[in-house]
Amino acid sequence: MALKVQFENVSKKYVLYKKRSDKLLEIFFPKKKNESFYALRNISFSVNEGETIGVVGINGSGKSTLSNLLSQVVPQTSGDIKINGETSLIAISVGLNNNLNGLENIELKCLMHGLTKEEIKKITPDIIEFADIGKFITQPVKNYSSGMKSRLGFAISVHTNPDILVVDEALSVGDQTFYDKCLKKINEFKEQGKTIFFISHSLTQIRSVCNKVMWIHFGELKQFGGTRVVLEKYKEFVKWFNGLTDEEKKQYKLDMLANQAKDEYALMNEKSEYNQPLYSLEQRTKRRERKKERRKTFKLYFQVGILSMLSLFLAILMFYT
Amino acid sequence: MNSVGRILKEQSSNFHLILRLSLYDAKSKYQMHYLGAVWQFLGPAIQILLYWLVFGLGIRGGAPVHGIPFFVWLIAGLIPWFFISPSITQGSNSVYARVSLVSKMKFPVSVLPTVTIVSNSFQFIIMMLVMGVIFVIYGINPGWYLLQLPYYLVALFVFLFALTLLTSTISTLIRDFQQILQSLMRMVLYLLPILWDTSKLSHVYETILKLNPLFYIVQGFRYSLLGYGWFYEDWIYTLYFWVITLLILTVGSILHLKFRNKFIDYL
Repeated sequence: MALKVQFENVSKKYVLYKKRSDKLLEIFFPKKKNESFYALRNISFSVNEGETIGVVGINGSGKSTLSNLLSQVVPQTSGDIKINGETSLIAISVGLNNNLNGLENIELKCLMHGLTKEEIKKITPDIIEFADIGKFITQPVKNYSSGMKSRLGFAISVHTNPDILVVDEALSVGDQTFYDKCLKKINEFKEQGKTIFFISHSLTQIRSVCNKVMWIHFGELKQFGGTRVVLEKYKEFVKWFNGLTDEEKKQYKLDMLANQAKDEYALMNEKSEYNQPLYSLEQRTKRRERKKERRKTFKLYFQVGILSMLSLFLAILMFYT
Repeated sequence: MNSVGRILKEQSSNFHLILRLSLYDAKSKYQMHYLGAVWQFLGPAIQILLYWLVFGLGIRGGAPVHGIPFFVWLIAGLIPWFFISPSITQGSNSVYARVSLVSKMKFPVSVLPTVTIVSNSFQFIIMMLVMGVIFVIYGINPGWYLLQLPYYLVALFVFLFALTLLTSTISTLIRDFQQILQSLMRMVLYLLPILWDTSKLSHVYETILKLNPLFYIVQGFRYSLLGYGWFYEDWIYTLYFWVITLLILTVGSILHLKFRNKFIDYL
């Protein structure tokens, strides 16, 4: 069993800006403190070849952030991500150009995935066949229904031959016939030893596809294990949550969100009862890295400085000849 | 130089991707118009006629420039400009326009400005050929000076690449920059020796205009097409041009590498 995906203490922090100009200020003064929010915090797991992982969690728990990290669309704030192979993300209407028609979108998407003209010619009929949206394939994508968009997106992504497929609720808008078709394709992928992440709110879908399930709860990995066990727990939680009064629900959510907004340092201080006077090994390597970083930035400034001085000198020389 | 090397390596390793995407881009650009590819020539032709009328016949009264008919003198500068101007404005916008499309997949963002430049250059090549025919009709022969045209073409492409890499990064982070750039480009046309002859200016004023690296390129096209001189004659200016280009390329690469992971957050 080859390791396909490994996450080690991965966190993703979003900074909440009060004004647009704060964003700009942060570029120049990175130390300025803005309100932050951890969409994911300290996620660690590893996934092997040929596994299909279901991801569950209530709204706003960080599932889509996880799918973005998996497909390397957004960078993590801290931690290590190891991914062996090409990932392909399928979400509702991903990266389709609204002004182009279906065929042109197929061509453009495939080109961007680095396929050659011949390869595209070869798989285009397959994609059209799989998407099965009839005459609409020659119409601009802006006229598509959401079902058609997700069909086309799924068809393209599946045919670009990825090693790791991330399906982010893309199937929820398709009907039963399309869903069965996708299921067949997913099973085909499974047999080929590809890894699939399946994000969905439909527990029945997850139960039928996945052999492992990951439960993400307000940015933290609550449980990761066999489908039956995790889904049981998740169902229990949903039942418990639904049993709360509205007031309690609100309070629970608020508490959880406040926890996500807490900074790393605040959390660390809370956990450790006394601060250790000696630097730990981890801190020391961090310091060394920071020093290296500083030396690198200095080098860059030096280069830019030399070049600007030289051009200034030449400009002055031009006036005196 | 580390970051410059990384950016250049990304360009060369994605060479086929750039070529295919830019071909696609050039093909699809005029698809929505009824006249299609004809617009690629109709638009510039109308502009050339207008500038000829206003500056050549109107202001100059049809007088030739250094013994060369104004029309020929004009197109030797204006046709490169028809390539430079859209390449800069579209190239600067290229990352912003495509980042939502690209962000859902692994894609080397640094090739986006290059794709714009290459896709614009198809039209440029054809216009250069048309210009060659006009030169033959007018019976102008630059002789050996024509040999430096490849040098200036290389200079043009390197400069455009460096500049659009920098401006595309800035205009993705700060949207106002695109607006500034567009008005600036409209202004720069009149500060270059394209529509009028700057050699009558005093040395100081002409040198101020010369600080603009685009001046070097436009002047270079005249040098090689009309046989005015050699690029190494004013070696200080040549050196200045390459140092400035390298400076822009270095700053552009550093900024691009620093912010490209955050592009999606800045939308």
